[in-house]
Amino acid sequence: MNDNLSERLRFLKRVVEREIHHLRYSSGSVFVSPFTEKRAAMLGEDEALAEKLEAYTSRFCRLQDTTGDKLLPLWLRALGERTGAVADNLDRAEKLGVLDSADKWLEIRQTRNQMIHEYIESPQILADAINTAHGYEETLVAFALAMLTDAERRNLL
Amino acid sequence: MRLTDTQRQTIQNIVTDELGPGVSVKLFGSRLDDAARGGDIDLFIELDEPVKHPAQLAARLSVRIMRAMYGRKVDVLLSAPNLSEQAIHRLAREQGVFV
Repeated sequence: MNDNLSERLRFLKRVVEREIHHLRYSSGSVFVSPFTEKRAAMLGEDEALAEKLEAYTSRFCRLQDTTGDKLLPLWLRALGERTGAVADNLDRAEKLGVLDSADKWLEIRQTRNQMIHEYIESPQILADAINTAHGYEETLVAFALAMLTDAERRNLL
Repeated sequence: MRLTDTQRQTIQNIVTDELGPGVSVKLFGSRLDDAARGGDIDLFIELDEPVKHPAQLAARLSVRIMRAMYGRKVDVLLSAPNLSEQAIHRLAREQGVFV
């Protein structure tokens, strides 16, 4: 096992754990009550909610990026697998059993474009996008942790 | 329109599979410009019925079409009776060409 790879995995483990911790905090603040179309439509006036939502979406997006764009290729390399385009890496993760569905992951990635409240003027779409991300949170966390647990089990960390 | 017949058929098949036959699908944006190169595939899909999960539906269609087109970036814009109408919808409806 390459020491650099090991060191890099250990670093990403710390990053991912912090990102999960902060995402969960923001998730608790935003979804203290359901994120309805009505709440989505109020963001222009409700600065406190807009700020909480901003933190939630940034943290969600960051964890998905760290997990899919950084941890996944590194974990695959540590296993001696070939890495390639994001979709190929996700397909590989699905085959190796750490991710339920590569398609679903890409769909969530695509939904992110609809989570930016300054840009999405339809409260119906914004609310659906935010709730979709929220519904995916545990799958996202489980994917990151599955790779880390596997790396640990193989003494790669 | 810079889409091959096969690509148009692929798009139609996926949209029909998700939403049933007879749904209006238009291409708009940079792919209409025959002089340009590359670029995202922007699709405008108009529905007669309200859609319960518009963000999920748009994302699912985008990914299915993207996967079928070997990773080319696809963006789906939806119009439905329960979604607020914006300038982009009007533009896509007016400038879009049926796929």
